[in-house]
Amino acid sequence: MSSQKTQSKRSPEASAFYIAGLILLGIVVVAFVISLFWTPYAPDATDAASKFLPPSLEHPFGTDNFGRDVLSRVMSASKYTIFISAAGVAIALILGTVSGIPAGYYGGFTDRGIMLLGNSIMCFPGILLALVAVAVFGASVTNVIWALGLVFAPTFARVCRLGTMEIKELDYITHARVMGVKPVRIMTFHIFPNLVSQLLPATVIGLANMTLFESGMSYLGLGVQPPDASFGKMLSDAQAYFRVAPWLVIFPAMMLIFYILGLYFISEGMRVSLTKGGK
Amino acid sequence: MQSKAGYLIGKLVELLLTLLVVSLLVFTAFSIIPGDAARVMLGPEASQAQVDLLRAELGLDKPLIVRYGSWLIGLLTFNPGTSYAYHMSVGELIAQRLPVTIGMSAIAMIMVIVISYPMAVLSARKPGRFGDQVCSVIGHILFAIPPYVASLLLILLAGSLFSLLTVGNYVSPSDDFIGYVGCLILPSFAIALPKIAMSFKFLRSSIIEQRTSDYVRTSKSHGLSDFKILIRHVLPNSNVSSITIISIILSDILGGSLIVEQVFNLPGLGRLLLSAISRRDFPLLSGIVFYLAFITVILYFLSDIAASLADPRIRLK
Repeated sequence: MSSQKTQSKRSPEASAFYIAGLILLGIVVVAFVISLFWTPYAPDATDAASKFLPPSLEHPFGTDNFGRDVLSRVMSASKYTIFISAAGVAIALILGTVSGIPAGYYGGFTDRGIMLLGNSIMCFPGILLALVAVAVFGASVTNVIWALGLVFAPTFARVCRLGTMEIKELDYITHARVMGVKPVRIMTFHIFPNLVSQLLPATVIGLANMTLFESGMSYLGLGVQPPDASFGKMLSDAQAYFRVAPWLVIFPAMMLIFYILGLYFISEGMRVSLTKGGK
Repeated sequence: MQSKAGYLIGKLVELLLTLLVVSLLVFTAFSIIPGDAARVMLGPEASQAQVDLLRAELGLDKPLIVRYGSWLIGLLTFNPGTSYAYHMSVGELIAQRLPVTIGMSAIAMIMVIVISYPMAVLSARKPGRFGDQVCSVIGHILFAIPPYVASLLLILLAGSLFSLLTVGNYVSPSDDFIGYVGCLILPSFAIALPKIAMSFKFLRSSIIEQRTSDYVRTSKSHGLSDFKILIRHVLPNSNVSSITIISIILSDILGGSLIVEQVFNLPGLGRLLLSAISRRDFPLLSGIVFYLAFITVILYFLSDIAASLADPRIRLK
């Protein structure tokens, strides 16, 4: 390729988004990493003597109705948020690429069939389909991951399909086909690597959206099950007391929003640098 | 070149196929329940005779294809069976709860349009200026707040600010329409917030794109005022693409209302859905799920048709 991009500097706007996003995401990730080794108190240790303590030096985020330390619980809850969104997106990515690339490559009947199924899945508004899966198979972390992976697969399939339709018209694919390379090999080694740049922003947004869904399901009591802490469950527990103890709502909500917002900012940075870089 | 009728027929076929797949998905989901559905619904303490009775009542002893057929016919005649927990027709139960969900979605949609349009127009006037950047950052933050978290924060705020918007008291529209709207305003706003951000972001970039196009420059050189160009040319052209976005937003609002109803204790479809899940009332559950998806399918269909009428070039794609 002759047109070498002298893109040594990112646009300041993109950098601002990246930095803000990484800071917000960093807060949650650091809390998660530390919680693996250490939390100030045990996340589910109750203490009748210290119920509803407002934030103080001893309990920076206060304590809840069982006297549990909110900071410790928030730290351990970040584990599920990160784990479920990562695992769910991984499943959605695999399902999406495996169905989207053949749909775009073969076109015709294969394409129509796969897209019809994908569009039908997308017709269930919000967390509806995931709720059905949980209703049928029971509420557990594994089921939530599978359900959300399935719900998000069509989004990735669409990205793959459109990308493949563009790439397969390029000369090097025709060349490979004429040389007798098998379609499966073309799709895995020649098309898929070129989709990565398009899949990356979709993955980041997917992580954020999946967290929105997961926390909603946990809020309804159909996601992560007690006694394990999750942001959604903490918020629904806090609802009964939040006039006397608003910190029970504020801190889990803050961490949840930091995680989602951090991911949005990073994806926005990617988008800005892609569109500005094209000029 | 496809004719208008050809496009419409193609879309209709797509609509019917999608509905068929949606119904198959719902039916399959409830047919592959691990173990015996009747046993799952009744719990481990029920006797075998009770289970057999329920199996016969639900038609579980008939072959799969017959059950699917009768369920599908039931759906089309708005009578997809009897709720196991409420001992009422599923259609009737849904019709009872519909005013809350539909009313909330409608108010939320109106809020999205009324707030995001002026904001986008103002923001797009001078892109890159300070005000525009502030709006964009606020938009991102709003977008990242889950509706139920926004509800909690709004209740916190509203509880201390006004006692007017009382939380947790649902008023039926036939009793007091103003009260009905009043009790739905806060939940609707919570659902609308992230969608306002989404619609704002989309409209803003669409208006900016239109503004830099050739026809706007030509109109300007013909001496049209900025305002006239905006109203007559830029907005109608941005509208075409926002039809699609609006249908997506409406479907999201519908999905969001399911959770927010729970926060505000409103007797809508979301509450019914959750009680159906916890009581393992599968006939009711499958009915609600199908009809919610049905509404979305119809919305997407209508938006496709509307977009193709507004911009005939879409039919060529």
